[in-house]
Amino acid sequence: MSEALVFHDQVIGILPKLRVQALALTRNRAAAEDLVQDAVCNALSAQDSFIPGTNFAAWMHRILRNRFISNLRKRRDTTDIDDVPSSVFATDAPHEDRLALKELGQAMTRLPADQREALVMVVVHGMSYEALAQATGCAVGTAKSRVFRARRQLESWLLGERSERQAARPQIRAERPLDEHGALHS
Amino acid sequence: MKHVPMKQRKDKPVPVRPPEEGKADAAFDLWLHRGLHKLFDDVADEPIPPELLRIIEEDRDK
Repeated sequence: MSEALVFHDQVIGILPKLRVQALALTRNRAAAEDLVQDAVCNALSAQDSFIPGTNFAAWMHRILRNRFISNLRKRRDTTDIDDVPSSVFATDAPHEDRLALKELGQAMTRLPADQREALVMVVVHGMSYEALAQATGCAVGTAKSRVFRARRQLESWLLGERSERQAARPQIRAERPLDEHGALHS
Repeated sequence: MKHVPMKQRKDKPVPVRPPEEGKADAAFDLWLHRGLHKLFDDVADEPIPPELLRIIEEDRDK
């Protein structure tokens, strides 16, 4: 099988994951589809720069991400949360679940794009932090931090009171006894 | 070396966390994972737009 044949099959194979990544970044279905198409065109134009046998997924995800950033800079996108269609995360779940999912969807749209993207790629794609770091062109520590912050922010928004109590509670420490001068006993 | 029971060891201070918070975190994580899958799995499962496949196949045939 020729390398060109394998390359195009790899592009087709990764399309579902690209669509998820695109939606996580753009928060808009139509924009996500456009972004995927643009990224695919970029990849096809740059296929000679891809080294067969290397990490195709990371290469492709980075192309899409870079295209998203490039589009933002051109458009100076300032999409307000109110402009994001409520149907962007349409679901046919039962009523109570729909309300909860709607809240989650709205909270997701409020996250910074890089955190939102990181959380989705780890949770929905099952990516490791190392794979996420390669796909988004950052250090592993940065990738972990984005996921951690996204999760913590969502918890704060969605659970509110509990998260505030957690932040306010002082840590109870097993303290060493102090002497009369306030110094620690060894 | 004299054995020092756990209770008498001068260990580092250990933050005490109510057990219910660990359970709550795990519950939130589970809910978050399921919620994100419900929000995004459908997108991954949707048919690929024919136009996009056409672009790829046309490039393949060049």
